[in-house]
Amino acid sequence: MSSTRSSITELAARLRAGKTTPQQLLAGAMAHQKRVEPQLHAYLTSTTELAEQQAEAAALTLAEHPDSASPLCGIPMALKDVLCVQGVETTASSKVLTGFRPPYTATAVQRLFDAGAVCVGKTNCDEFAMGSSNENSAFGAAGNPWDVERVPGGSSGGSAATVGAGVVPYALGTDTGGSIRQPASLCGVVGFKPTYGRVSRYGLIAFASSLDQIGPLALSVEDCALVFAVIAGHDPRDSTSDPSPVEDPQPALGRGVDGLRLGVPREYFGAGIDAGVRGCVEDALHVLEAQGARLREVSLPSTEVALSTYYIIAPAECSSNLARYDGVRFGLREEQPSLTDMYLRTRAAGFGDEVKRRVMLGTYALSSGYYDAYYRQAQKVRTLIAAEFASVFESVDALVSPTSPTVAFTMGERDDPLSMYMCDVVTLPANLAGLPGISVPCGFIDSLPVGLQVLAPRFQDARVFQVANAYQRATDWHATRSPLADAAA
Amino acid sequence: MLARIGLDEAETARIGVELEKILDHISRLQQVDTSALTETAQVGELVNVMRDDVPEPPRGAAAALRNAPRSDGHHFVVGAIQANELDA
Repeated sequence: MSSTRSSITELAARLRAGKTTPQQLLAGAMAHQKRVEPQLHAYLTSTTELAEQQAEAAALTLAEHPDSASPLCGIPMALKDVLCVQGVETTASSKVLTGFRPPYTATAVQRLFDAGAVCVGKTNCDEFAMGSSNENSAFGAAGNPWDVERVPGGSSGGSAATVGAGVVPYALGTDTGGSIRQPASLCGVVGFKPTYGRVSRYGLIAFASSLDQIGPLALSVEDCALVFAVIAGHDPRDSTSDPSPVEDPQPALGRGVDGLRLGVPREYFGAGIDAGVRGCVEDALHVLEAQGARLREVSLPSTEVALSTYYIIAPAECSSNLARYDGVRFGLREEQPSLTDMYLRTRAAGFGDEVKRRVMLGTYALSSGYYDAYYRQAQKVRTLIAAEFASVFESVDALVSPTSPTVAFTMGERDDPLSMYMCDVVTLPANLAGLPGISVPCGFIDSLPVGLQVLAPRFQDARVFQVANAYQRATDWHATRSPLADAAA
Repeated sequence: MLARIGLDEAETARIGVELEKILDHISRLQQVDTSALTETAQVGELVNVMRDDVPEPPRGAAAALRNAPRSDGHHFVVGAIQANELDA
C-alpha cells in the first residue's frame, strides 16, 4: 500500500495498528522518490543509510512504547539543505559549500531525530535561501509537482515540491521573506513560519539572522502543528530563542473561527495581485465568514515600502553572514599566491549571481557614507511596519490575505531580479515584524494552486493554526493530489 | 572591494546595471519621514542574554579541520599575508 500523500496523522495510526512499519514507509518513499525525482529534482542529497538506521530505531521504539512514541516516530521526512546534519553534506545549494560536512546537527533537526523522524534526504533550494523560484540553486532548479515546467517557488522549493509530489508527508524549510509560505502556496501544500524566536536557529546556515525562521511544510494544518510542537521551544545555543513556554497548538485546531475578528489588509489585495488569485482568496474569506468569522477591512500603509526595507536589511545581514565563505576553513578554495586574491577568486567562483548581488547591495548599504541613508533608515521603517501591525492587531485577532501575487510561473520567465523580488511582497512584512504566518491551499487557477495567508500577533502561533484549520476543515483544496503524487498509482 | 568578490569586466558591467535598478527602486525609502522613529535591529524582546560560564568539552582540532581546503593537521594553511596586501 502506497504512502503517497498520506498525512502524518494517518501514517502514525497505521504504524500503531500494525498495518505498516517504518521500514515499509521508508521503502515506499524511496520508491516514489525514484519515480518522480528525474522530473522533479527536489533533492540534492539522499541520506539512505541514515534513514535506514532511523527507521530501524523507530520500529523498536514503536514496538516498545507505542503509546508514548511521538506521532512523528517512523515517519519519513526531508530537510532543506540549509539545515546542518552532522556528517551529511550540507551545501545551501551553493558551490562554495560543496562537500561541506557539518560537525554538528541543527537543534530543530535534532529534536525531530529524537522524536524518531526518518530523514530521506536534503532538499534543493535557492542558493543560501535567496530567491523565490528555486532557480538560484547552483545545482539546477526543482520543478513544480503540478507542472514540472514551472517553478516550485522559493527558497524552500525542493521541500514544497517533495511534499506536493507525495514523497514525504512533511519537510522542514526556512522563511526569511516568505520562503516557506510562498513555495507552499505554489505547490499546493501547507507551509508554516513560526514567530521569530520560537524555533532555534542553531545549525541553520544563516542568511539574514534577524529574519530567518525554521518551519514545516506539510499536507495539512494539523500536520504542521504536530511538527511545530516538536521543533519549537527555547534553546540556549541560540540567544534569540525565546524562553517563554510554547502554547500547545493542538487545542486551537478544533476551536473554529466563530466570533473571531479577521482583518483584511487593503494593501495586500492591491496592484500586482493577479485577479484570479484575488478571486480565490475572496472566496476563501466568504468560507471563513460562513464559519462565523467577522471580517473587517484594515490598512497597513507602509506595505508599499516593506519590500525596499527588506531589500536593505536582508542583504545587509547577508553580506555580514556570508563573509565567512573565504576559502580558509571550509568549502571551496581557489588557490592563489596571495591571500587577498584567494578571497576574491574563491567568492567569485563559489557564489551565484543573486548571492553576489545581495552581498554587494548589503555591503553598500552598510558602508560609511551610505549607512544612514540606507541601513539606518530601513531599520527605522522596520519600526514603523511593526508598529502598524501592532496597531491593527488591537482591533482584529488575525489577518487574512493572498500568500503569493500569482500562481507558479514558468522557469526562466522572471529574469529581472526586481520582478522576482515582487513575489514576496505580501509575505515579507511578517518577517520584518517577526510574526507567525501560514499558507493553506485555497483554490486553483488553470490547475495551479493558490494559497491563503493567515498572520497573527507575535507568539500567537496557535491562533494561526486555529484560523487555517477552520478553513481547511470547511474545504478540500489541500486534499487535491498533484499529477506527480498520482505517479505512484 | 569591500564585498571581496572578484568580478571580471563583463560581470561588473552587468551586475552594475542590475544593482542600479534595484537601488533606484529601494531609494523610495528616503521619502518616509522617520524623524520620530527609533531603529529596530531585531524584533525580539530579549536583551543581554547570558548563560552560565561552564566549560564544555571542545569539539577538537580534528573536527574543526575536517572541512578545511588545506591544513597541516593542527592549523588552517593559507598563502602568505604580506603587509602591502592589507591595503589592497
